[in-house]
Amino acid sequence: MGDVRPLPLGGAAVRRRRVSSVRCLDGALDAVINPYLLYVGLALGGLGVCMALPRRRVSPQVLGAVLAGLGLGVVLLGLGLRSERLPNYNFYIFSAIALGAALRVITHPRPVYAALYFILTILASCGLYLVLAAEFMAFALVIIYAGAILITYLFVIMLATQAPSEGELEALAEYDAEARSPVAATVASFVLLAALTTMLFGGAGDLRPRDGAGLDAPIEMMPQRAERSLHEEGLIAAGDEVVGVDAAAWTATLRSGEVVALPASARLTNVERIGHDLLAEHPGSIEIAGVILLMAMLGATVLSRRQVELEDDAKRRQSERLAAAGTVFADREANP
Amino acid sequence: MSVSLSLAQASLPAPMDGVTLAHYLVVSAAMFAIGLVGFLTRRNLIIMFLCTELMFQAAGIALIAFSRFHLHMTGQTFVIFVLTVAAAEAALALALVVLLYRRKDSLSAEEWAEMKG
Amino acid sequence: MVGGLAGMTGLTAAAAGGDGALAVGTVAGPWWVVLIPLLPMLGVVLTLVCAIFDVRTKAPAWMSVACLAGSFGLAVLAYLELAGGPTAVTFGFRWIDVAWGDGPGQRLSADFAFAFDGLTCLWMLFVTGLATLIALYASEYMSHDVGVGYCRFFAAFNLFVFSMACLVMADNLVLLFLGWEGVGLCSYLLIGYFYKKPSAVAAAKKAFIMNRIGDLGLLMGMLLTFVQFGTLKYAELWPLVEPYVAAVRAGHADEVPFLVGLIPVLFMVGAFGKSAQLPLYVWLPDAMEGPTPVSALIHAATMVTAGVYLVARTYPLFLVSEWALPVVAWVGALTALLAATIGMAQFDIKRIMAYSTVSQLGYMFCGMALLTSVGGAFHVFTHAFFKATLFLCCGAVMHGFAGQLDLRRLSGVGLMPGWRIVGLAMLVGCLNLAGFPFTAGFFSKDMILAEAFVTPGPGYRAIGWILLLTAGLTAYYTFRVFFRVFVGPVEYVPGDEHHGDEHGHHHEEHGEHEGGQQGPAPEAHGHAFHPHAPGWAINLVLALLAVGSIAAAGAYFVHTEHHGWVGHLLHGSPAEPTHEAAFVDAHGHGDGHAEAHGSFFGLDPHKAMYFVSSAIGLLGIGVAFGLHYLGRTTAATSRADALLPKVGPVARWAQGKWYVDELYDAVIVKPLWVLSHVLHMFDKLVVDGLVNAAGWLPRMIGRAVRPSQGGVLHGYAVQMACGIAFALVIVWLMTL
Repeated sequence: MGDVRPLPLGGAAVRRRRVSSVRCLDGALDAVINPYLLYVGLALGGLGVCMALPRRRVSPQVLGAVLAGLGLGVVLLGLGLRSERLPNYNFYIFSAIALGAALRVITHPRPVYAALYFILTILASCGLYLVLAAEFMAFALVIIYAGAILITYLFVIMLATQAPSEGELEALAEYDAEARSPVAATVASFVLLAALTTMLFGGAGDLRPRDGAGLDAPIEMMPQRAERSLHEEGLIAAGDEVVGVDAAAWTATLRSGEVVALPASARLTNVERIGHDLLAEHPGSIEIAGVILLMAMLGATVLSRRQVELEDDAKRRQSERLAAAGTVFADREANP
Repeated sequence: MSVSLSLAQASLPAPMDGVTLAHYLVVSAAMFAIGLVGFLTRRNLIIMFLCTELMFQAAGIALIAFSRFHLHMTGQTFVIFVLTVAAAEAALALALVVLLYRRKDSLSAEEWAEMKG
Repeated sequence: MVGGLAGMTGLTAAAAGGDGALAVGTVAGPWWVVLIPLLPMLGVVLTLVCAIFDVRTKAPAWMSVACLAGSFGLAVLAYLELAGGPTAVTFGFRWIDVAWGDGPGQRLSADFAFAFDGLTCLWMLFVTGLATLIALYASEYMSHDVGVGYCRFFAAFNLFVFSMACLVMADNLVLLFLGWEGVGLCSYLLIGYFYKKPSAVAAAKKAFIMNRIGDLGLLMGMLLTFVQFGTLKYAELWPLVEPYVAAVRAGHADEVPFLVGLIPVLFMVGAFGKSAQLPLYVWLPDAMEGPTPVSALIHAATMVTAGVYLVARTYPLFLVSEWALPVVAWVGALTALLAATIGMAQFDIKRIMAYSTVSQLGYMFCGMALLTSVGGAFHVFTHAFFKATLFLCCGAVMHGFAGQLDLRRLSGVGLMPGWRIVGLAMLVGCLNLAGFPFTAGFFSKDMILAEAFVTPGPGYRAIGWILLLTAGLTAYYTFRVFFRVFVGPVEYVPGDEHHGDEHGHHHEEHGEHEGGQQGPAPEAHGHAFHPHAPGWAINLVLALLAVGSIAAAGAYFVHTEHHGWVGHLLHGSPAEPTHEAAFVDAHGHGDGHAEAHGSFFGLDPHKAMYFVSSAIGLLGIGVAFGLHYLGRTTAATSRADALLPKVGPVARWAQGKWYVDELYDAVIVKPLWVLSHVLHMFDKLVVDGLVNAAGWLPRMIGRAVRPSQGGVLHGYAVQMACGIAFALVIVWLMTL
């Protein structure tokens, strides 16, 4: 297994030479890319999203989706042209899926499908997390979000959907069929997006990933972890104890005073790092999170046991609907 | 960190072997904007809450990206708490939505306009 | 008369309160002086208690008479003990005392302190004396109104005497002003006594408002005095004024600052308002709407003399300005003439008497201005008696003939049985007013007339001739009244004020007087009208007053070195010494003005006046006799009517009071009405408009903003999103 690939300046310098041809275009392209390309891309995206929103009449949803995708592509292209490094293809795949599914969430008229598309979004995000080397969070996301929260949403959607009448099995509730003030919403959101992306284009996101030297520092607090790793690799005898670990030199000090170099498997995994961070730096937040969950559970229990009576207007509507359904049934029986 | 990095970037041609923060942030911002459009557009209460969850997702992506770039675990730890809060919020929100549905026999957010004027 | 008991201070047990520092030239007065105004105040309280308990007898009247008699007794005592000595100051209580600095002009101090000198004695004697007698008269005159109204009358009456006492006995200008306002208030209350009569209410308002105009002048004069001299106490003030008087006397009138010379002008305005001179006299004839005792006491004898008193009291200030006294003289003279001409053409006998009061007040002011304050004060004294007599006789006529006052409807009243005393008293009063030889009025008017031809001044000789002419007119119209109403064929038309059942009661009371009273053709109104003659109270008072009027002449013949009893009293008060000194320098003599300089057609004016004014008076009486007695067979007409067409429109104008009221109405009242309407419109449109606009604005804003609150969640959400986007854009712009 390779070590952490260092990201030294040397590599960057090499890469810089390779993309220098692209780079010297940067100056000329910059004037075109930012702001024109950016805003054209954003405008396209906004238009596409607006068109993709559900309407009663025939709506160009597919075309809208395509446009939205194009817009996103333009923005990312512009970003890519400006920087010298590009994320790998995994990033593009997962982000496309995530954004496409997200678009489908908001544009699908049926609530159940929206929830299912949301699950797809979560899975794509999970992929993005993996690309970003956050394995634990990726799996936690799937388990908690897709596995618990979304299932709850699905249950409630099904609970709260009115029973479809005989003649209109596939009918949508009136409130789902049509988007409300799509233009205003799209404009507001894309102005927000424009502000954010302009800042990114303006250089806010040009951080270089840092060298990962300090990441292994926690191992100094985990001598037994080092010991286990050394045992697995067979580098120490069964009775030896590790009394101290030096992360910078990547060595462990045994009780006998011997200094042993730590193997590569002693590198902390993501889970271990998260665990250490949680306990070492956010102990209070853990407690508070627990209390929040407890309160939510109690609150949900209390709320769901409340007796709420149907409002008069709603009673009237329900009876009308049932009457209509009843006549349909009566018709069906009369005319089989 | 080592596994994913090697997996993801082991055999990639340059220059597509790195990660840039801006890209991830653009994706996060786009997802946030889409979630916001959905929240403002849909009338179904549950779908509205779903869109807020979408916005949480976007925040999560941004957090993880920052965590990777600053090489600090707090970003990921914070996503754990975001997940916690999202779960709590979902539970209570859905309980309330159920109550609201029971009152009006409809999931439309526009039924609740008693504060007009 | 007891001579001066110089240095007699009396008991000062409770008197020397306060800071005890008396000003130069004064001594501490006896404590019982405080009771002189306090007894009428006690009367007020007692009558108000009677009002609360709804007493329906004449008890309030007897209580008032008792209190006022007590006050009179104390005034007499004060005269006996204090007159002729230095001014005696009795300290009552500390009233105003504020200081805002340590400098001389930075402390305003006015106490309820009463100063008694000769001038005060004179005034207090006739004020309290007349008040007592008139209260006794009113006890019968107002008897038809027994009940709350009766108590109200006597309460206001007593309050008036209290205020007048404060005015006269004050030792500082502030207390004088308090009394001044108080008498104005009581005048208003008493004129408007019959408050259900619109004309009475209007008259009361008119009197009060015109008084107020005068009061403003007086107040400004007081303020100016304080600003210039730093004090308002007489005793401290006169030494400060002395240098200016000396400067004027020495001929350096330009050394007197303008503001100091303005003070007497302002005081003049106040005096003219209170004493009904031009141009503020129109309220006095209308004030006859009040009950007759009120007219007699307030508008004949006491309140209207307050202006004359003010001039007398602040005489040094009048000497400071070269032209203050001449203005007073001319105003007085013109008023006298004008009022006399109006009086000649009126038919309401009370109105005629009112105009004669205005005219005689003009005489008094002339007297003051012609450097004979003795003459002016003596005329005040005699006029008080005979004018009160005249008014009370008119009141008796009114009382007996159900309010009839028109001299074309009454005749021969003095010849009816039971009316003898009224007739005689009227005759005495008329003789005094006309200046018949050897009456008190004759002597007092004489002093003033003579002085007009003696004192040097701008046009003073012309004033003398005007006053002589006025004396003739006075004699004429006075005896016109007498010859028409009190003698001649007995005939009467009753007035409109039948008092219903009370009238019947009085019939039983005075049954013995009505034995043979059916005059020829009584024009009864439904039932036979019997005039009821006055009772014992009225008769007694009229008799006393008539005797007093005659006896007042005797005051001329004592203390001749000071020109009479009045002069003796005034000697030592600020009204007199400066006069003498001023006169000395003006005439270059050193021994008073027993010898006259100036001449009347080559004769010594004093001696000449005895004859000239007698002649004029007798001429007036003779004309009245000829026109209004001889050949008169009915009440309504006389030989004068035949002369009217020859006089032309002048008579009509005189009867219309020279249309002065109408002039005031057009020039002052109407523009004020217009202005008030304009301001009302301004208030309604602009001021109210602004306030309404201030209320309208939030409503408009609310109406404009309300649509944004749709109540729907999405609307709010969109607004929030827009807000966030906007904020982000701003942040981005700031990073540029």
